[in-house]
Amino acid sequence: MKLLQATSLTKKFQNKIAVDNINLTINKGDFVVFLGPNGAGKSTTINMLTGIIQPTSGQIEFDEKTTINREYRNKIGVVFQSSVLDANLSVKDNIMTRAKMYNKPTQIQLLINKFNLESIWKQKYGSLSGGQRRRVDIARALVNNPELLFLDEPSTGLDIQTRTAIWDVLNQLRHDTGLTIILTTHYLEEAQTADYVYIIDQGKIIAEDTVSKLQKQYTKNILTLYYQNGESKELTVNDKNQAIKILSDNSQAISDFEYRPGTMNDVFMNLTGKEIR
Amino acid sequence: MSGLISRNLKMYFNDRSGIFFSLMGAMISFVLYLAFLSQNMITSWSKVPDTKLLLDPWLIGGTLTITAITTTLSSLSLMVKDRESHVLADINLTDISYVGIQFAYIVTSVFIGVIMQLIMYFIMGIYFMIVDNSSLDLTIFPQVFGISILSSFTWTIFNLLLLSFVKKVDTLGKISSIIGTASGFFAGVYMPIGTLPTTMQNLMKYTPAPYNSAMYRNILMNAQLNKSFNKLPVSVLSKFKEVMGISISWNGALTFQQDLLIFISFALVISICVFLISRISRRLVLSKV
Ligand SMILES: Nc1ncnc2c1ncn2[C@@H]1O[C@H](COP(=O)(O)OP(=O)(O)OP(=O)(O)O)[C@@H](O)[C@H]1O
Ligand SMILES: [Mg+2]
Repeated sequence: MKLLQATSLTKKFQNKIAVDNINLTINKGDFVVFLGPNGAGKSTTINMLTGIIQPTSGQIEFDEKTTINREYRNKIGVVFQSSVLDANLSVKDNIMTRAKMYNKPTQIQLLINKFNLESIWKQKYGSLSGGQRRRVDIARALVNNPELLFLDEPSTGLDIQTRTAIWDVLNQLRHDTGLTIILTTHYLEEAQTADYVYIIDQGKIIAEDTVSKLQKQYTKNILTLYYQNGESKELTVNDKNQAIKILSDNSQAISDFEYRPGTMNDVFMNLTGKEIR
Repeated sequence: MSGLISRNLKMYFNDRSGIFFSLMGAMISFVLYLAFLSQNMITSWSKVPDTKLLLDPWLIGGTLTITAITTTLSSLSLMVKDRESHVLADINLTDISYVGIQFAYIVTSVFIGVIMQLIMYFIMGIYFMIVDNSSLDLTIFPQVFGISILSSFTWTIFNLLLLSFVKKVDTLGKISSIIGTASGFFAGVYMPIGTLPTTMQNLMKYTPAPYNSAMYRNILMNAQLNKSFNKLPVSVLSKFKEVMGISISWNGALTFQQDLLIFISFALVISICVFLISRISRRLVLSKV
């Protein structure tokens, strides 16, 4: 079911086009990723979708309605790329004062448990580690029980354990409440688990689809052969039959091999001719 | 809205060094007074008995005006900081309306202004009680409280107008130090208004500051003025009041009621300006991420 739709969204800054005529359809309950290098226009897109800046042209519809009303803002949560929480206040104050800014009741205790905030509850936000901060950021964005959560590069600079922990909670929430998530990232692994991916470069969507379809369309499977003499060779192959044939032809010469489908990294490379980072 | 107000209050009271700097102007006037101003003035008014008991509440009155100006400015600065760090855009995502957001900053600032004035009042009052045996007359507390609310409101509105033109946190620091220093002069604390050149005096009279000090001084000094001057001619009393800025003169000395009226008029005029400008600044806030 369609939740959010953007049509011909464009944002110009002075004479620079940050977002160039993009169309998006976000389905309810999906985990959608905007993947793109620095300066691609991801944050600008998010800022337009959240109503923080006005698009130069184009429409945004949420549940068939325009987004300029308070009702819409009530249904979204946002984690900004650079945190907007108060470093001088405790985690508790940051979250509780935020909760009081909404008219509807909130489930703070649930968030404390889910994001494991008990031990840092009284600590000043400014004294937390990067990973702890992100946990608080996300918990605070969820204070109003949004239907749609925007996360602008939430995991930049976090180690793999912290990222995994955060994703465990978010996935659980998606499962329990049907939360829809829009994430921007340039971590390709994070795009790997998405329901739908928009690849953005220089303000344009250069490809969009599910992960498996993108991989199928823009990459080939890769077979790496490791020879007895220590050399190795990388081959792109169309399907498993071709791979098996190559392997049996070379079975005497090789010591080992590796067979993998193309990744999002290969998709990005093939689309733009450059590495994402 | 209570959420935003309590957040703003916490932001102010959690920041110890911020509080310290917002009281800097007041502390400078206090220290200057103790260091030499008081001695100078006692010498020049030696024919008046108990000059010291007269000058202590005089200083308190002026210092409270400075406190009202600088603490409300410091509290409102948060709004500029929030605007620059996109916090305002983020708050705008909640259920508080734009008008509610503005209102919350104003309420916070008025509240902080009142609290800090009262704290300064008691600190100075108790200090002089211990050191000079001045009496801390609690029967005038309701009036002091009333003036503190009025001055806190007026200076909040004044500073709001000032900060409508400030877009950068950079500028904020410069503004605060200028206001911090200027407030001591305009409130007539660093030097009594009557000892300044006429042009300077006139300039001061076009700001709310000297009326604020005059109102405070009227209330705080009333009892001691009656005592000290009861054996002296009325003309000496009027002269003293005029020179020391206890009554401001506009072709003759103004009464307390007239001071009050002028002060409230300032508040009204500034409020109208703020209202007109807020239409422009709203566009600015919402267009800025
Ligand atoms: N307020 C602004 N004024 C002028 N140019 C801007 C403004 N905001 C963004 N831009 C420009 O728009 C382009 C897209 O920026 P945006 O922040 O959306 O990129 P991004 O994809 O989020 O990048 P990153 O991964 O680095 O966060 C950039 O070239 C940026 O310089
Ligand atoms: Mg960005």
